[in-house]
Amino acid sequence: MRPLDPRLLTHASAARWFLLVGAVLGLAQTLTVVAFAWFLSQSITLAVGGSSLESLATTVAALAAVVILRAVLVWLLEVAANRGAAAVKSQLRTAVLARLAERGPDWLAGQQSARVATVVTSGLDALDNYFARYLPQLLLTAIATPILVLVMLWQDPASGITVIIVLPLIPVFMILIGQATQVVQRQQWDALQRLSAGFLDVVGGLATLKIFGRDRRQTARLASLTDEYRGRTMKVLRVSFLSGFALELAGSLSVALIAVSIGLRLVDGSLLLGVGLFVLLLAPEAFLPIRQVGAQFHAAADGLAAAEEVFAILDDDEQPDQHLSVGRGDRSDAAAPTGPPTTLSLQAVSVRRGDAAIIDRLSADFAAGQLSVLRGPSGAGKSTLIGAIQGFVPYDGRVLLGTMPVTEDDDRDWLAWAGQRPGLFSGTVSSNVALGARVTDDALVRTSLAWAGAGDLDPALRLGVNGAGLSGGQSQRVAAARAIYRCVATDCPVLVLDEPSSALDTDAENALIDGLRTLAGQGRVVIVVSHRPAFVAAADYVVHLNEVAHV
Amino acid sequence: MSDRRPLFTLGVSTATRSVLRLAQPPARRSLPGLAAGVASAASAVALLACSAWLITRAAEMPPILFLGLAVVGVRAFALSRAAFRYLERLLSHDAAFRQLGALRLGIFARLLPLAPAGLSGTRRGDLLTRLVRDVDDLQDLPLRVVQPLATSGLVAVLSVIGVWWVLPAAGLTLALCLIVAGVVGTLATAALSARSERALAPLRGALADEVLEVVENLDVLTAFGALEARLNALAVVEDRLRRASLRSSTGAGVQAAVISLCAGAATVLALIAAIPALGTGGFSGPALAVVVLIPMAVFEVFAMIPPAISAWRQARSSAERVATAVPEQIPAEIPAADAVPREDSRPAVPQPGRALIELTGLGASWPGADRPALAGVTLRLDAGDRVHLAGASGAGKTTLAQTLVRFLDYTGSYRVNGVEARDLAPSDLRRVVGLCEQRPWLFDDTVRQNLLFARDTATDNDLLDVLARVGLADWVIQRGGLDARVGERGALVSGGQAQRIALARALLADFPVLIVDEPTANVDTGLGDTLVRDILSASADAGRAVLLISHTPVPAGLITSTYTLTAGSGLQRDPTPGEALVP
Repeated sequence: MRPLDPRLLTHASAARWFLLVGAVLGLAQTLTVVAFAWFLSQSITLAVGGSSLESLATTVAALAAVVILRAVLVWLLEVAANRGAAAVKSQLRTAVLARLAERGPDWLAGQQSARVATVVTSGLDALDNYFARYLPQLLLTAIATPILVLVMLWQDPASGITVIIVLPLIPVFMILIGQATQVVQRQQWDALQRLSAGFLDVVGGLATLKIFGRDRRQTARLASLTDEYRGRTMKVLRVSFLSGFALELAGSLSVALIAVSIGLRLVDGSLLLGVGLFVLLLAPEAFLPIRQVGAQFHAAADGLAAAEEVFAILDDDEQPDQHLSVGRGDRSDAAAPTGPPTTLSLQAVSVRRGDAAIIDRLSADFAAGQLSVLRGPSGAGKSTLIGAIQGFVPYDGRVLLGTMPVTEDDDRDWLAWAGQRPGLFSGTVSSNVALGARVTDDALVRTSLAWAGAGDLDPALRLGVNGAGLSGGQSQRVAAARAIYRCVATDCPVLVLDEPSSALDTDAENALIDGLRTLAGQGRVVIVVSHRPAFVAAADYVVHLNEVAHV
Repeated sequence: MSDRRPLFTLGVSTATRSVLRLAQPPARRSLPGLAAGVASAASAVALLACSAWLITRAAEMPPILFLGLAVVGVRAFALSRAAFRYLERLLSHDAAFRQLGALRLGIFARLLPLAPAGLSGTRRGDLLTRLVRDVDDLQDLPLRVVQPLATSGLVAVLSVIGVWWVLPAAGLTLALCLIVAGVVGTLATAALSARSERALAPLRGALADEVLEVVENLDVLTAFGALEARLNALAVVEDRLRRASLRSSTGAGVQAAVISLCAGAATVLALIAAIPALGTGGFSGPALAVVVLIPMAVFEVFAMIPPAISAWRQARSSAERVATAVPEQIPAEIPAADAVPREDSRPAVPQPGRALIELTGLGASWPGADRPALAGVTLRLDAGDRVHLAGASGAGKTTLAQTLVRFLDYTGSYRVNGVEARDLAPSDLRRVVGLCEQRPWLFDDTVRQNLLFARDTATDNDLLDVLARVGLADWVIQRGGLDARVGERGALVSGGQAQRIALARALLADFPVLIVDEPTANVDTGLGDTLVRDILSASADAGRAVLLISHTPVPAGLITSTYTLTAGSGLQRDPTPGEALVP
């Protein structure tokens, strides 16, 4: 693991700022450590030498001043770390969301959207500890340790050399032990994940287990699983805790070595008490930052893992397959095609995913004024075809609206669409139906809902996140109403609904069919992906999409 | 149980406390780790004290023999500090892992009678995941809360006593500084961070909701040209959170600063107390060095307390969530579990001409709901019946299914083979009445294991036969046989295949009454009709009654009658069985 990922500095300018401020504060903190040790060892030496408290007043006051200064610097460093974390998280979050908007829905479909959402919210919180606990110690290791070692070398070369010999042993030991246990630790981590997943599996399937009268047997299984896991984990921990042991031992043993050597040299008078105490106080401070870095290793690993996921999204430069032969219409032709009824024509449209053709040279004409139904077995690429028409999915061939080619960077103002997933938002039903509209036309909202078979739904009803609060069928109808609203409000010539009635009962379905017939009657292209017999029966035109034969 | 000190009961409800108690190992297991921890921390203090004494005494140039013990002490404490620390970590982890088993089993034992209807709020998959993660996080209680608090507390007390013994005034100032650091540095700053957390949590939640909506509905937002507006709205929320975080950051460092200040003050005060005492009552130079330097080492040990307190807050909220999700008291709406599972008390074998199931005025409610989800249902199922139960969503179809397998208690009468269901142990009743759930749960294992638990005596041939009956013969061959894995939560099989596997399971268990709840809910529309057809023909048996719950029409000829369930007004038999429902 790299201690500091350079991409963090490239993607988040706040991280650079924090490193700078942190370095200055770290330097100041190191100076207070040296001053504290100096004034303290002087006070003790002079007191032992017979000075009274009154004659030592200045030294003790200076010590107190250093203590206060040190506390202020500790506070400032923490504040800087917290501010840095907040600013970096904000910058990374903004960058990821901008990137998502740029790459579009088809790219996002290849990711797991829930995971992406977690990465940019709670996932990034792992950076809090990275900034608050790990980075300051890393900075101090780079700043404080060399300064303290130099001071010790200057005051008492023998002690300085001891520290110089022991210090490098710590990372060497940690790396050696880390390498020895890395594989086992990885396996152990996987085992832990499996164990946790196994518990989840049993708890989630509890209803099923009860139905089959197998619930009580799981107790024994859980017990033996956990116990087996403990046995194996402890074996690994015995080794991996050795790295912590090496750290502690190197730190405390070198303090002991220095103390004994100073003691022996004091006895024969080759060293002064003041110097001896000063060096003794500095020695543990020289080891402190690197010990903290070791102790905060997990904070660092979690933080960097979270940042890693963000960089994976930001730096994913793989270009989607370009539309190879999309006819690019002159933008002046691409003005909103209102007015005379037009046909949506597909000419030899092919969509490929990897090497497999999902849609192979499909041609079809969807005429205005007709209700067209697109059907076919699942996996035949119906939703993919809709994605291609929307311009979300790259394709070969041509999609024409009337005589004008539809282009990739079209702003889709000619198309109203409802997907298989309702995709609703928190807010009122009305705000969902009028999504994207500048002003909400209440009468049109009601009409749209009615045409979608949801006339009984109150437009003022408030929905939770992702449209929570509606049943599956209700959500589908609101999504259909949203497409209808856009279709009417912006007078777009094409309406596409993907499986709008899979969760609808017969009444609602009939209402929707009537609504769509009305819209088609107004001279629009209406395309519905559906299997339902009622839709097929009501269609003027049916396109059957077969699975592409694999030659 | 160990360590039930006042700190752990402050502001914690009884229910939460009982969860916390499950997570904390008993004293006999946690004591060895605790002892090693105290020994390690005490060694750290002793190492500094011993070094200080050695150096100051050496400066007085005594015969080197006089220093022998101190030299040995310094080396011994350096070794024992690291060795005991290693031991502490091993012993305390071992105890914590042992307790994890007990904790999981304890929570599982509580879940058993509640599942599935009583797990309020855990019906959503992510909340269930949260519950399981909370249980795992409770491991931190012994490791990151109890152990460091007990260790540093004990060592602080021991050090104060030691310093007091050398110089009472210095002991007093050390105790004072520790108390101030403890009170101001932990409790007061805890209040400070709790306040900032209260301000940040809702903002963080709002941002998470916004982000989730944008990410999951990117296609919708793009298609409706609303993406830019939405991203701008998100930027506002994000900015509010950022500014609130920056504001609260000034409070974040207060704790560390206060502790640093107290540590320094302890040293300065020890100096002020010790210098005038020098030479009085045998208080020598080396003793002065010891009482002045010990506070530094004690405060290093004290530094374990703040992280332990924040770990405590996390463990407490995990325990609170677990206690809420899995109440100890079984709600009245859930039938009490059978005390001891009885063997071979299966209700009498169905007799021809006698109703398998007879419902009269049946009603049921969900825990916490203010009105019943089901009322006045009257229905009779005989062997050989295949009944379609229709009804709008929300009419209580799933409630009826959950009631019939006794996941929910009922009002009215529900007789199975002539016996009132209340008089049967729920697990015995479930040998007669089986259910294929709306979302069948497949365990992350092979197809074989997912079938075998329905009848563990079944041979591979039996399994292949039943898979053929539910139309999965080709599929299982294509997948590579019974050893094919179904993936986590059945991720590797489609909704329709999951339903078929669930049906195969139910057929293996050979329930005399089989309820199939909305088999097409998660199935591509085109495949729904075929699935329903296959389910009905595979489960048809002269001795079995099938109740198919579906909001969509069922192909004629496969069913013997259709009923429509209407919210609040019970069941109505449709005049033309098997036909599409005409309003």
